[in-house]
Amino acid sequence: MNRVAAGWRRRPARSAGTLAILLVGCRGPECDVVAYTSVDQVFSEPVFLAFEAETGRHVCAVFDTEETKSTGVLNRLLAEAGRPRADLFWSGDPIRPFVAIDRALVEPYDSPAAAGIPPPFKAAEGTWTGLAARARVLLVNTKRLGERERPRSIRDLADPRFHGEAAIANPLFGTTTVHVAALASRWGEQEARVFLDRLRENEVQIASSNGEVRRLVVSGEVVVGLADTDDAHEAITSGAPVEIVYPDQEPGGLGTLVLPTAVVRIRGGPHPEAARRLIDHLLSPPVEAYLARHGAHMPLHPGVQTPLDVRGVHEIHAMQVDYAAVAKTLERIRPWLRRWVGL
Amino acid sequence: MSVLQQERIVFVGAVLILAAVVLLPFATLVAELAGSLVGGEAGAAFELLGSTRLWGLLGSSLLRAAVVTVAALAVGVPLGLVVARTDTPGRRLALVLHVLPGLLPPYLLALGWFHLFGRQGMLGSEASARLLFGESGAVAVLVLAFAPVATALCVLGVWGMDASLEEAARVVARPPRVLTRIVLPAAAPGVALAALLIFALALSEIGVPMFLRVETYPAAVFARLAGIDYAPGEAVALVLPLALLALGLLAAERRLAASRDYAVLGLRGAARPPLPLGRWRAAAAAGCAVAALLAVAPLVALAGVARAGGGFGELSRWAGGSVTVSLTCAAAAATASVGLGIPLAYALARQRPHARLPDALAVLGFVTPAAVLGVGLIQTWNRASLAWVYGSLAIVVLGFVARYAAVAIRTCASLFASASPHLEESASVAGAGYLRRMRRILIPLHARGLLAAWLLVLAFCLRDLESAVLVYPAGREPLTVRIFTLEANGPEPVVAALACAQVGLVAGVLGLLSILIWKGVRR
Repeated sequence: MNRVAAGWRRRPARSAGTLAILLVGCRGPECDVVAYTSVDQVFSEPVFLAFEAETGRHVCAVFDTEETKSTGVLNRLLAEAGRPRADLFWSGDPIRPFVAIDRALVEPYDSPAAAGIPPPFKAAEGTWTGLAARARVLLVNTKRLGERERPRSIRDLADPRFHGEAAIANPLFGTTTVHVAALASRWGEQEARVFLDRLRENEVQIASSNGEVRRLVVSGEVVVGLADTDDAHEAITSGAPVEIVYPDQEPGGLGTLVLPTAVVRIRGGPHPEAARRLIDHLLSPPVEAYLARHGAHMPLHPGVQTPLDVRGVHEIHAMQVDYAAVAKTLERIRPWLRRWVGL
Repeated sequence: MSVLQQERIVFVGAVLILAAVVLLPFATLVAELAGSLVGGEAGAAFELLGSTRLWGLLGSSLLRAAVVTVAALAVGVPLGLVVARTDTPGRRLALVLHVLPGLLPPYLLALGWFHLFGRQGMLGSEASARLLFGESGAVAVLVLAFAPVATALCVLGVWGMDASLEEAARVVARPPRVLTRIVLPAAAPGVALAALLIFALALSEIGVPMFLRVETYPAAVFARLAGIDYAPGEAVALVLPLALLALGLLAAERRLAASRDYAVLGLRGAARPPLPLGRWRAAAAAGCAVAALLAVAPLVALAGVARAGGGFGELSRWAGGSVTVSLTCAAAAATASVGLGIPLAYALARQRPHARLPDALAVLGFVTPAAVLGVGLIQTWNRASLAWVYGSLAIVVLGFVARYAAVAIRTCASLFASASPHLEESASVAGAGYLRRMRRILIPLHARGLLAAWLLVLAFCLRDLESAVLVYPAGREPLTVRIFTLEANGPEPVVAALACAQVGLVAGVLGLLSILIWKGVRR
């Protein structure tokens, strides 16, 4: 009988001990506060680390993956509703927190650090508070564009001059969902549907995420894509022949959609006091400054320094939207949005 | 306690554990679906099943999975035969390189191919990009991702066959005929199992088709859990056809494999001299070289991106503790799966009554979209009294066991079925009970094969993304999850370097353990 086989006979205790050690290893470090976030890990993790360094409290985080590759932390929050594991949810957009608010998962918190945030970007009753916004921009590959006229409007995605050469992320996921809902809110649902149908007729490519839209534009697979400013900034810093167009900036035009990230405190979370401290930290001007420097996010606190290539919220013509109304619109348009995607 | 009672108690215990791990999450969701139907809130759930569009999507997804399965077998089986039993030069290196892509989540391979054949890829052009982004590209990427499964199971099946059969055939037939008429049929159960696994993997894959702009049925399930609304009841309704399909697959696989004895993973014929291929040797070597090149091409592309951007230098900073988490969870899950699999597989191999039930249950866990399983796990285990499970990596281990127990059960069943029952019968006559026979005869006799089964489950767990991503405890993500959470806006060279690290980790662990096992065999 070989040595391995003999081992099974002679060392059952050792084998069991090994398994026990493995299972004991499954216990994690103590969490002082648990944060779920759909803000990209590359930007949010350093913010949590800075909080840990400042306070000595350990943040356990669950990060979202790109839109279609996970079920998303929001849905994990909903699945865990009966017994919340998270203390706070830092959302990559201001609409998804309303899903949690509608399901009574949110405990209002009026953070003193939110005093400087302008009213359109926070709820008066403290259910959600915005910070560090992103804009929805057109990312253009100038090399592939050639002599053609630059896109200036979101409607140019449906223009035949970009037939088969434009990309958006799947509108069932991420900020693209919010964008479609915002358009339906502003234009009316009928016009938004017509626009989406025109996109389909123009053979717009449906990428699985904004990150992939960026990749398609950077690699020249398409001329133009609709993405967030942080994706666009990443494309610019990669040295690719791309430029950012803030759409619909003409006077009286639709304006560019601005989406703040948003933080909510979870009702019944296991560490309420630490959650408040972490929310205060997230809403502080230094965090906005950090996100502006590293992720091209637009600060909402007045007076926060930004890099030269990052525009402030007040430097662009922003689309006028009521985020609560957009959330309600999103509820209504879900069925036809899913039909449009074909799922 | 009688021998039969002992066996029944252990069997029933194992079935109950498997049911708690696989069936309970599924049942929780079905109960939710039923509750919402009674409440009149989810009529949409079954209306969905009347949608011609969704049935069309299911049809195209099934067709794609079938094409991928056939093509992967067409690549993997001949390669497996050549590598396992011939004197083709470089066959071992070819095998090692060929299986490397099987150690990565397929989406990362698609990313590697994109770096190669995208419009501005290293070898890219407009034509190559057009081919890559579409049905043909999706099928090709999936075939190359899953062919190693066919190759590996074919190789193990061939190594495990009775050497005397081949030796007898060599007296009267030439090597190619021996390969096709004797060796290949002996590996048929392994090939049938490979077909089942590949079909299930190809059908449930979401990342690659979506990346390459191909619509797929699992994406419709996924959209009910990850999209703009959260409707687990609807997701379960959409899973029902997949559950029926799983049972159909199981029946088909049984029919294919039933006429043969299981001979996978026995490794009894490993020491046989290779079959000389003569004038076919050069062609076989060329085939091996092509297979190896196709396997490493996307990995080389990823390594190139990582190297050019200095990604490897950043690895330790970005990987964090995820490597330890991956290894811990995978090892625990592989151990639990094999431990659970031994009594269930024994019953299956000895054709005990009701033994097919847990097998079917395990296959259901394998083919159910991981997102559905994940939501079920949360709703089942996220309770105050079970915080020690849900709040720790144990929940990831449970997810892995639910998903990959089928792999352990089937490979262990192959082992037990390949052995003569005479030894056990003799022991039984001498008064040895079920547990004593297991401990003193079956487990020692099949120790190498059981370790190989453990390694196989370990490999599946180490490359898993979908099962872990929804349930991992805060702050303790496995390496695959970390790669994907960074993939959005993390530096591309770092993401590529992490993908290379993932391959290195799995290959290193498997290689090291294989060497240890082999040394054990040789001594």
